[in-house]
Amino acid sequence: MSQTNPTPPAPVARPVPRIGNYVDSKPFWDGIAAGKLVLQYCTEAKRFQHYPKPVSGYTGRRTLVWRETSGKGVIYACTVVRIPGPGLEGRLPLCVATVELDEGVRIIANVLNCSPEQMAIGKRVKLAWDQLTPEQRYPAFELV
Amino acid sequence: MRKKDIVIAGYAETKIDFKTGRSAYDLAGEALSQLIERTGISLEDIDGLSVTTALSEASNPFFAVYMTEALGITPNWLNYGGIGGCSATGGVARAMSAIRDGMCKVAVVMSADAPSTDWRSNYGAYRPEFQDPPGVQGPPATFGLLMSRYVHQYGLNPQALGKIAVTQRAHALHNENAYAKFQKPLTMDDYMQSRVISDPLRVLDSVMFCDGANAFLVTTAEHAKTLGIDKVVYPVAYSEVTNFNGREPLADITQSGFTKIGPEVLKKAGMAPKDVRMFQPYDDFTIAVMMKFEAFGFCERGQGSAFTMDTDLSHTGSLPLNTGGGQISAGQPGLASGGLNLAEAVRQMFGEGGARQVKDPRNALVTGIGVIPYGRNWGVSSAMILEA
Repeated sequence: MSQTNPTPPAPVARPVPRIGNYVDSKPFWDGIAAGKLVLQYCTEAKRFQHYPKPVSGYTGRRTLVWRETSGKGVIYACTVVRIPGPGLEGRLPLCVATVELDEGVRIIANVLNCSPEQMAIGKRVKLAWDQLTPEQRYPAFELV
Repeated sequence: MRKKDIVIAGYAETKIDFKTGRSAYDLAGEALSQLIERTGISLEDIDGLSVTTALSEASNPFFAVYMTEALGITPNWLNYGGIGGCSATGGVARAMSAIRDGMCKVAVVMSADAPSTDWRSNYGAYRPEFQDPPGVQGPPATFGLLMSRYVHQYGLNPQALGKIAVTQRAHALHNENAYAKFQKPLTMDDYMQSRVISDPLRVLDSVMFCDGANAFLVTTAEHAKTLGIDKVVYPVAYSEVTNFNGREPLADITQSGFTKIGPEVLKKAGMAPKDVRMFQPYDDFTIAVMMKFEAFGFCERGQGSAFTMDTDLSHTGSLPLNTGGGQISAGQPGLASGGLNLAEAVRQMFGEGGARQVKDPRNALVTGIGVIPYGRNWGVSSAMILEA
């Protein structure tokens, strides 16, 4: 697939965010370490939400747990970032999608090993791994 | 309920410029000075102040209080407006409530920002962990996502967005406050050949951060007379919504807060879309303008391209659009941007539009947009209808 990959691996290390800066997100990052996409889930509404929040968006209360997702979904919206910006060095053109997971929640992520021409709404994707640094990976997707 | 008791009794606007080297305080001082000269009020008359949060001053939690010192105003009512491009119309609406509640009598709604000189903001929140890593740091990526979805659901004629850009640029040529670099004509070819920055978004669909300030004087119709002010407009209806569809992760992102407040504000004013004499919508990106045509009912949902192509949007047309050039062609003075579209509406209704004057400027519809949230459209939507 490498010959069709216009988004080469980043030559420079990207910033690794401070974990739990907004709400306790440790399960998300632990999930990454275990090769899983783990997101917040409301036990009352029985629905996921993402990004994680201090309360359930469905109940306004902390009726929240973390749960593994299938990592499978469909491209809901997509764009190709073509202008430089912080953290984008060596990554342009960059394929970005809003992925709607089969569990009924959306997540913004990169689509790896995908040319801008291949990006399209409605295409199926599955979980893949991007590298922020050689030690820290980050969830992304690739076309099925 | 529709009331005609409070007025905007004056406006002021500085030139929009890039990297002025000036502070928001200094720009605000220029706007206040102009407001006093235009209205003939004295500093002691002002007992209310609304200050818009500025990107260039966001690290100072007491920006609004410092602003009272800078301007020499001693308000009994002070509002710090943190709803971005809705802070000007929202500031006027809040000032109206405060005046009706007896908290003040004469309020200045001040928006000043200098982000192209000094950017001192950090949105923080969830962004470093969940939005920055995939490279969605600026508004263009989010608007590229939004546009892609619009194209998928309804189809989009790029020439329609081009027409918005070209029409607004033609208007900016008559606006002496517009950023000088934008004071040259734009053709459809220029638009179609302009660089795609985040597919399908083009650079000419987008605003550029500049520096600038604007200010509005709000008081009762009765008191304006006492102050000897005869040029006034009446804000007869206002609606605002924040975090529209915020509890629904699978919401249709081509539906914005305007889907709710568009029809609502028209109803409050007792108007139909065909009654709107001019449209001065917040224009961070051209697609936002087109989506508002649909949301306010100027056309059916998904028919924005056809409506844009079929409608004369020039200042002499059937629906004059952003007659000062909008932010895309006059420059976006940071978060003071919401006042740019409002200032143009008031200017037109005062009959001070010069070469771009709209005939019979009996009313205007003005909108604001604030904040680009995670994977949606925008965070705050506001709409105000002014009547002569």
